[in-house]
Amino acid sequence: MSAEKKMSRRDLLKMAAAGGTGLVMSGLPVRVIAQDMVTIKVQTAGLGDNSLQPVADIQMARNPNVNVEWVVLTGIDHEEVAAKILALVAAGESIDVGYAATEACQLFAGQGLAAPLDDRITSDPDQDFWTDFFSDVHPSLTEAMMYEGSLYEPPRDFNAANMYFNTNVLAENGFEVPGEEWTKDDFLEIARGTTKKDDSGNTEVFGYAWTNRLWGSWMPWIFVAGGNLYTEERAPGGEWVWDGYYEGDMAADGRGGGFRWREPVANSSEVVEALQLVVDLWQEGVTPDIAMGTGQTLTGFYSTGLLCMTPAGGFWAGRLGNEGMAKGDFDVQYWPNWRNQKHQFGTGGHWLSTTSTAPDEAWDFMKIEVSHDGFQSSIFFNPVIITTPSRRSYSQANAFETTGPANSDVFYGTLDDHPSTSPIPAPPWSNPMTTIFTTYTGFAMSGEMGPQQALDEMQAELESLTNREGRKYYQE
Amino acid sequence: MTSRKSTAVAGGGIFHWLMQDTMDGLRRRRAVLGYLFLLPTLLGIFIFTAGPVFVSFGLSMFQWNIFKPPDFVGLENFERLLEDRRVIIGLGNTVKFTILAVCSQVSIGLILALAVHRISRVWLRYYFRTAFFLPLLMSGASVAVFMGYIFHKEFGPLNYYLTLLGLPQIPWLTNSDLVMISIAIISAWRNLGFTFLIFLGGLSNLSQEVLDAADVDGAQGLRRLWSVVIPLLSPQILFATVTGVIGALQVFDEPYIMTRGGPGNASRTLVMVMYEHAFKDIEFGYGSAIAIVVFLMILVMSIVQMWLWRNRVFYQ
Repeated sequence: MSAEKKMSRRDLLKMAAAGGTGLVMSGLPVRVIAQDMVTIKVQTAGLGDNSLQPVADIQMARNPNVNVEWVVLTGIDHEEVAAKILALVAAGESIDVGYAATEACQLFAGQGLAAPLDDRITSDPDQDFWTDFFSDVHPSLTEAMMYEGSLYEPPRDFNAANMYFNTNVLAENGFEVPGEEWTKDDFLEIARGTTKKDDSGNTEVFGYAWTNRLWGSWMPWIFVAGGNLYTEERAPGGEWVWDGYYEGDMAADGRGGGFRWREPVANSSEVVEALQLVVDLWQEGVTPDIAMGTGQTLTGFYSTGLLCMTPAGGFWAGRLGNEGMAKGDFDVQYWPNWRNQKHQFGTGGHWLSTTSTAPDEAWDFMKIEVSHDGFQSSIFFNPVIITTPSRRSYSQANAFETTGPANSDVFYGTLDDHPSTSPIPAPPWSNPMTTIFTTYTGFAMSGEMGPQQALDEMQAELESLTNREGRKYYQE
Repeated sequence: MTSRKSTAVAGGGIFHWLMQDTMDGLRRRRAVLGYLFLLPTLLGIFIFTAGPVFVSFGLSMFQWNIFKPPDFVGLENFERLLEDRRVIIGLGNTVKFTILAVCSQVSIGLILALAVHRISRVWLRYYFRTAFFLPLLMSGASVAVFMGYIFHKEFGPLNYYLTLLGLPQIPWLTNSDLVMISIAIISAWRNLGFTFLIFLGGLSNLSQEVLDAADVDGAQGLRRLWSVVIPLLSPQILFATVTGVIGALQVFDEPYIMTRGGPGNASRTLVMVMYEHAFKDIEFGYGSAIAIVVFLMILVMSIVQMWLWRNRVFYQ
C-alpha cells in the first residue's frame, strides 16, 4: 500500500525543507573553517595567474589558512595596466596587492591607493631580513619606489635601457660589439653601416629600431643629451631607509624621499637635439616607422636578423632565447656616451593596497616575494631571466649563463658603475603625461611636425597638465 | 486582522480578474505572460544600459577621480570639451571613420550579397556565406593585433607582396593621411559579414511577382537593380546603415590596439579620448561628459537617418 501511495505536494515541501536544513547543517563546519581562511587578492600582469604561484605556494605552506587569488590584468604597456587597476577599483573590486612599475608607483601612492611601508619595515621584528634585502638592492631602485619620503614598493625587478646588438648582423658588416666607452658617433657609424637597402631604396635590414613608449623609446637619447622631460628634484625625507639600512653605502649619499618631477622642460635644446637625432635616422631609413608597443614588438624582427640594435634591458635575455636566438647571437652594452652617459631605468614591485582587508597577510606575500626563497622560485628569474632581478646577487653573470648576453654585467653595472643613472620621469600624473609624450613623438616621427614644433607643443600640454595636476600631489 | 483580510481579498481579486474565463481574461493572461517574458530583458536594459546612461548624465556635472568625494562643477566639463583640441580632433576622426567604414560596409556587403545570391550551387553559396561571416565572430582586439602585423610598413606581408609587384611600401598605419583609411578597411573587413547576411536575407525574400513584373516591363541589369531591387531592399539598407553608423561612432578596438591614436592624433577617436580621460587620467566626470556627447551624436544621427529615409523605404 505504502509503495502505491502518491507523494502529495505537502510531502514534497516537507522533504525539501528537511533536505535544505540538512544541507545547511552539513555546511556549517565548512563555513566555520572558511571563516578562519584569509584570502588575499594579488594582481599579476602579463604572464597569467600562475606567474607568482611559487611565491603563493611558499606562503600557503607556511600559513595554511591563507589562500591566494589572482587578479590577472594585462596591457600593452605599464600605463595601460595601471588604468585597468584603476578601472577595477572604480568598479568596486578590491585587490590586496598590486604590481606597478616606476610608471605607476607615484600614481598609486599619490592617489592614496598604495600604503606606505615605512612602519611595516622598521617595526618588523626580523630586521636581519631587511638589512640583507637592502644591502642586496641598489639604493637608486629603492629611491625610485619612494614618494614624498615613504617607500611604497620593495623593488623586485628593474630594467635599465641598454643597447642590444644582433652579433650576426654586426659581424656580417664588419663590426664588433663596442666597448663600454663608446659614443654617439660610434653608434651612428654602426647604425648606418648595418642598414641594408634594396635597389628601390627600401630598407631590408635596419640598423636601429625602437617603439613609442615612455621607457626605452627615445628617452635614453634625452638623458645622454643632458635633458629630461621634467626637472629632477628630490623630496625631503627617507632618512629612515638611508640611515637605517644603507649606512656606509656611498651610492646612497645625497638621496632623499623620492623624486619630484615638477617643471616640464620638454622643449629644452637638449631634448630637441635628441628628437632630431632619431628623426634623422628615420628619414635616412636607418630606423623603421615608429609604432606603439613594447620591446616585445621588436623581438621577432631582431631574432630573424632584420634589426641590428635596439634599446632593451635584462628582460630581453630570456625572451630572445625563447625566440630561438642562441647564446652569442646577441650581446649588450651600455648606452653610448653623448654629453654624458646617464642611463635611465624603470623598476617594479608590488604595493600594498590601503583598501586591503587582510593587510598583514598581503604584506607577508610581498615580503616572501622579495626574499631569497621568492627570488629562487620566481618564474621571472628561473629558469631564465625575463626581467632583471632587483637583488644584485641574482643579477650576476651566472644568471645569464644559458642565454647570454656575454656582457650581462652591464645590467647591474648600469646602477653600480654609473652613479648618474636615474628613473624615467613618472609623476603621479604619469598616465596623461605618457599620452602627451607618445602623441607628440608620433607627430615628429611621422613628419607631421618638426622636432622643435612637436616639443614646443608637447611642452605647452605638459605645462597645462602639470598646472592642473601638479599641485595636488607634491607638498610645497 | 482587517488589513490581512483586505489584502487577501485584493489578492484574490487580481487572481480572479486575471483568470476570468472570458475573452478579456484571456487577453489579460496573454499580456501578463508577454510582459513576464519581456521582464528579464527590460530589467537588463534598465540596469546595464539605461541606468548607466542616467548615472553618466549625473557624473558629467562632477569632477571625480574615484578616490575623493565628487565635486559638483555644473557645466564646466562641457565648457572644457569645447576647448579640448583632442576632443575636437577625435570627433573629426570619428566622423571620417564612420563615413569610410559605413559606406564601404554597406556597398561592398550589397555587391557581395548580389553576387552570392546569383550562385546556383547551394554548397558554394553556403561556403561564401560562412567565409564572409567568419571575421565577425573574431574579437576586435585579436583582429587588431594580427592586422597590425599584416599592415606593418616594413615587416608586414601586405607590403611584401606590393613590393614584389614593384610597388612602393605604403605606410598604412604610420601616415597621418592613410591611417584612418586603413582602419576603416580593417573594420569593414571584419563587419562586412553582418551587412552581407542582412542583404542576402533581403534578396531571398524579394517578391517574385514584382520581379516578374519588372521582367515583363523590360527592366534588366542595372536598371532592374537600381529601380526594383534596391528600393525593395531599402528596409535592409536602412537597418544596415543605422546599425553601422551606431557601431562606427563607437569605434575603439582597432585604432587603440593598432596605433593608440597615432601617428600624433591622426587615429584618435572620440571614444578613445573618453577612455583616456576616464580611465587613464581618472577624470570620470569629464569622461562622462564626452560619453554624453557620443550618446547625443548617435541619437541625432539615428534620428536624422530615419528622417532622411522616411519616404525612401518600402516595406512590402
